[in-house]
Amino acid sequence: MGAVKIGVISCSGEDCLGGTISRLATKKLLDEIRPGDGVTLCLPLFIAGGEEERGFAVAHPTITVDGCDKLCAKRATERLSGKVNDVVQVADIIGKETAEGPVISTCNINAAHQDMVDKVTEEIRVKFDRIAENYKGKALPIMGF
Amino acid sequence: MSFMSKKVKVIPCSGIGKSHGLLAREMGLRVVNELCPQEAETECLAYIMTEDREILDRVKESKFVTIDGCPKMCAAKSVAHVGGTVAQEFRVVDALKEYRGVKPGNAAALNEDGWKIVDATAEKISARVKEIYGEE
Repeated sequence: MGAVKIGVISCSGEDCLGGTISRLATKKLLDEIRPGDGVTLCLPLFIAGGEEERGFAVAHPTITVDGCDKLCAKRATERLSGKVNDVVQVADIIGKETAEGPVISTCNINAAHQDMVDKVTEEIRVKFDRIAENYKGKALPIMGF
Repeated sequence: MSFMSKKVKVIPCSGIGKSHGLLAREMGLRVVNELCPQEAETECLAYIMTEDREILDRVKESKFVTIDGCPKMCAAKSVAHVGGTVAQEFRVVDALKEYRGVKPGNAAALNEDGWKIVDATAEKISARVKEIYGEE
């Protein structure tokens, strides 16, 4: 048995700026802010036969990060795995109009976009830490992540 | 009366675990936004996965080109799962065979080599997209 790992599941967000921000914030949290304390799961793998991903999301706490108010990551995760512990809505943080603006390539990320990534990352961190605190002392099976 | 676009839908997996997913995403964006804006468009793969009626109606009328980062083929399988017609599947792992040993960056940012791979592969994908569009 090991310490509880938290799954952070970002939408794929090919259709709007919020999707790009969602992905980058999720990576920043897991790679830089809380390295080793969580894992990210490929959302499309839930459908493509990703038993490990589905199993992880059933057994472990999860946060979904959605770029727009369609909340695809949350709804797809809950349909295929189970209820998520918390949700981060990028549109609530950077504004609906901005979030639903045109998607951008990572080669066009500027300082303003980076500021959005930082704000969303902080929101994920707050929720991530709250969940970690709630699970302190509890142990879940170690899975292949 | 509803209008259904005849544009080819280009769907990258946008996998988040490795650079392969970002390569797929950037290839898709390059094709849709720069190389084939008249012939191609994209849909959110995550939205397709919700199986909402609105997206299912669009899916069944369209031809798809999928771009998958890894051999699990999530984009192609997800589109097929909801009844979409996948006219062409592209795999980033196949494109990378021409660049053995090259490190394209990571899942958050590509390096110069990564962008070269995006440029070259997106050209190939766009050529196929135009063929499929022309078959309509």
